[in-house]
Amino acid sequence: MPRTVTYKVGLVGHDKHKQDVPAVEQDLTVEIHEMDAEPWGREDTFRHVGHEVPRVDGAVKATGAAKYTYDINRPGLLVAGLVYSPHAHADIVSVDAGKAQGMAGVVAVKTFARGSAKYPGKIVAAICAESEQVLADALEAVEVTYKVKPGPAVTEDAMKDDAVVVDPRRKTNVGQPRRGPLVRGKPDDAFEGAEVVVQATYRTPIQTHSCLEPHGCVCEIHADGTATVWASTQATSFFANQQLTSALGLPRNKVRVITQHMGGGFGSKFSALEWDVLCAEFARETKRPVRMMLSRRLEHLVGGNRPDSIQALRLAGSKDGTIAALQGEVWGTSGNSSGGGAGAANFGVYTLPHLSMLQHGVATFSAKGRAFRAPRHPQGFYALESIIERYAYAAGVDALAVRLKNDKHPIRQVQWRIGAERIGWGKNRRKQPGSDKGPVKRGVGCASGRWGAAGRHTVGRNQLVFDVVVDKEGGVAFQNGVQDIGTGTRTVIAIIAAEELGLQPGDIDVRIGDTTYPPGPGSGGSTTAPSIGAAVRNGALRVKESLAGLLALQWGVDEAQLSWKDGVCHGPGDKQASFRSACSLIGEDGLRVQGRRMRNFQSAYGETAGCQFAQVAVDTETGVITVENVVAVHDCGRIIDTMTARSQVNGGVIQGISYALYEEKQTDRNLGDMVNPTFDTYRILGMQDCPPIDVVLTSVVSGYNNTGMMGLGEPATVPTAGAIANAVYNAIGVQVTDLPMTPARVLEALERRQG
Amino acid sequence: MKAFTFVRARSAEEAAKTLGDSKTGLLHSGGCDLLDRMKERVAEPDMLVSLCDAEGLSDIRLEEDGSIWVGARATLARLAEASLVQRFLPTLSEAAALAASPQLRHRATIGGNLAQHTRCGYYRHKSFPCLKRGGDSCPVRAEGGVQEMAGIFDNETCASAHPSSIAPVLGSLDAELVIRNADGRQAFVPSFESLWASPKKGRASDLALAAGDVIEAVRIPARDTKQFVGYAEIRQRKAFDWALVSCAVRYEMDADGKIAQASVWYGSVAPTPWRAGAAESALRGKACTDETARTAAEQALADATPLAGTTYKVQLAKVALKRALAAARERA
Repeated sequence: MPRTVTYKVGLVGHDKHKQDVPAVEQDLTVEIHEMDAEPWGREDTFRHVGHEVPRVDGAVKATGAAKYTYDINRPGLLVAGLVYSPHAHADIVSVDAGKAQGMAGVVAVKTFARGSAKYPGKIVAAICAESEQVLADALEAVEVTYKVKPGPAVTEDAMKDDAVVVDPRRKTNVGQPRRGPLVRGKPDDAFEGAEVVVQATYRTPIQTHSCLEPHGCVCEIHADGTATVWASTQATSFFANQQLTSALGLPRNKVRVITQHMGGGFGSKFSALEWDVLCAEFARETKRPVRMMLSRRLEHLVGGNRPDSIQALRLAGSKDGTIAALQGEVWGTSGNSSGGGAGAANFGVYTLPHLSMLQHGVATFSAKGRAFRAPRHPQGFYALESIIERYAYAAGVDALAVRLKNDKHPIRQVQWRIGAERIGWGKNRRKQPGSDKGPVKRGVGCASGRWGAAGRHTVGRNQLVFDVVVDKEGGVAFQNGVQDIGTGTRTVIAIIAAEELGLQPGDIDVRIGDTTYPPGPGSGGSTTAPSIGAAVRNGALRVKESLAGLLALQWGVDEAQLSWKDGVCHGPGDKQASFRSACSLIGEDGLRVQGRRMRNFQSAYGETAGCQFAQVAVDTETGVITVENVVAVHDCGRIIDTMTARSQVNGGVIQGISYALYEEKQTDRNLGDMVNPTFDTYRILGMQDCPPIDVVLTSVVSGYNNTGMMGLGEPATVPTAGAIANAVYNAIGVQVTDLPMTPARVLEALERRQG
Repeated sequence: MKAFTFVRARSAEEAAKTLGDSKTGLLHSGGCDLLDRMKERVAEPDMLVSLCDAEGLSDIRLEEDGSIWVGARATLARLAEASLVQRFLPTLSEAAALAASPQLRHRATIGGNLAQHTRCGYYRHKSFPCLKRGGDSCPVRAEGGVQEMAGIFDNETCASAHPSSIAPVLGSLDAELVIRNADGRQAFVPSFESLWASPKKGRASDLALAAGDVIEAVRIPARDTKQFVGYAEIRQRKAFDWALVSCAVRYEMDADGKIAQASVWYGSVAPTPWRAGAAESALRGKACTDETARTAAEQALADATPLAGTTYKVQLAKVALKRALAAARERA
């Protein structure tokens, strides 16, 4: 029978800052499934949960013992690589692989000499060889004849009236949303009567995922008619799609996918892609294991990207800092695929009574975008927070006051106060932007972020379950196919299991990243930890239940008289048994139970909140920006491991600074190809440019599930670019409206101000 | 990369001779730049003649005449750390310490730093047309080309920028190159300026050296009078990054406190390290003041021919000169 419990949810601690914030704590009544436990409450104390726990796989990663897909070597391994078109738009006239075919050590060759290539990186041939050296020579020996055609590779060119269209069935590259603009209230009227109206157009670049480990896999078909695929993927359960299995010539149940460790995905690595399928075909044809990993250049070209954006925004409000209306039109490209996938999350967080937003996907002759850490959000929040900043100056109201006035989320209300105190808003915010004397000018700025990831109880259409195996010596294994994309999934599993069973995290044998185990969720939407966490706790509870049953038999008492506390089972009288001694009652074949992920409960909070503050120094003679300090205030519900949670925020901020200042896919507009597809020319933030990051984790008891966890990976990168842009504006008194804010763009903005 | 023969030379002399006899052989030292180009097949030598086993090429020493001898195989890390360099050639040490990453600085040599090719993304990828690789024109110059890192001087045929930040420092110090010819003779490049050649269709190297010429050492001459030296580098990232503009200056003062003679060199503004003669003239006979620096900076950039995407470099170059001069004054 489901039972109903009422408990207190809300922000834990930070009493000083939450005094004036209503609804930051409230009573919540939730219905708990009979198989589940009620959420950990505000008053519960923990031995591991919420503490600083080092990664359980830290040592293997630091020593190089961890095996990534690139490290997989098999007896008789072949390597495969790709020949691709460097053109934005060309007809493939012929592909001559004769010379390559004849080279010693070349095992198999495929050519694709048909049709047109509509993006740089389009595969025209694939080669499988005995060694990397032979492969490189063979790829070089393939002769491809193209008929190069005109085709716009970047958004602005594709928007021109006379631009060549990507999809010949359409008249234009500019997509129109089927349902027209999103409209709320009466935006036109609101602008008409507004006291303050500001407008600006913001541009964000195409950002590539730049995973340290590129896309790819190793495929091996075994003599028994099964196959193993070692893949760099965020979703072992979904990697073996229909294209991959049919390329292997095997039913899906015969294909095992393994991802023990992966070098970054950020949203770009869910399902098997074109090159993985080619790898599988080679493995089948050659009857040998084959590895295919993308080159860095191809990774930049076709591995995925965050679409760019052009966001023309207008905002109306009153002189007291109340925002009335936002109106905007957005263009962005997600490559050559029908123009979909781009867009900017540039409204939300703030109460916007009147809204009109029209977003266009623009088709270009470039490779597709892919989901990228908080898709649509960093670009949208950069523009939204920038136009609000403009409004605050125009209205003569403090920018923080504007945010407090128009943001109704109770948790973020507290977070704004925490962040403002830690960045020293009162002292460091320039009342008059750009007022510092001398060439180096400083300023601070802030921006909000949001997310909403409480996790799921399903994987595909099935319930998410962990197999839990306990042996009579007390060994405990938690098994699920879920992969750790670097966030610390193993550690989270170990902590929750150890907490519930009274063990140490290192005692738990975490077996993941393998489809031999029950299907794991894809690592997307920041849902992994909250999804699996509740299943792990559920599994630990089932273990305790089963052990209690064995003890009850042993002691000859009723099971209901037994209870667990800190890993010790207490019975009537002074009967008690430690976890390990209880395990001795398990048979030789071990104890097997399932940890089941139940549905999310209702919660008081639909979203997780976050905000960031940045302090920058801008050298106005050179346009070089130095980020001196970032304060990142985030909640993710219940924090399981403060160390890995902080790492997620650090990573999000670092990627956000990099987006704000450095990263940009640079495309030659005539030739259509990317000019900076290497790590020395595609600039990414380095250690020396990383400021101190003051991470404040505001633990929130959300009640969403039995652990109360919510996701953190994506929200941490949402506010960063906006906060830095606003700090730059505060420092130099003029807004840099294009990301990344390079020296050239900063100098240009300064010149505009003077001119 | 394309297969090649690897030869370990025992001396610069042997290297020069072996290179002279090869068809398309190239000299190998740290390999930092060369191997990158070979992997991209922008360079496809039939032979690499390596100096890695050659003896005595990495000395940094004070000569009897007071000049400083820096062997071609001295690494940037040693230039940055050697007390001799820190004491007598502070700008060289400073520029070396800023270059690349710690790993690269321990591998990269001063000779290789001078011989490195442009980092221009068009030059570095065979799929792009490029004048240096035999193309008819430089696509960077076209409207719609990615120009951010391009040069602002001598860019009519090729808009590449020379990436070395060590070279302008050596230029400002009037460094002399010691060369070993293919026929075994030791020769001296008469001036640092004459070491460089403007881009030409089909010529990848920016050095005006003959095939088979091996850089054996860099010699920085001794000076009788007090030297004022300063270096400034403007770059986007503090971490491993290429300079957007670098500038090195050296000057001497006369008895009246006026600049008697000055040397001003830029990096990353032209296909070769760039001597700013106009700035040198503007400095001569003036007291080294902010006003003098401003005038010199204006003069230095008066003839710049920036592309639409590199106008910002004009401003950076002016600032770099002012900062280099300020650094020289401060050091004194």
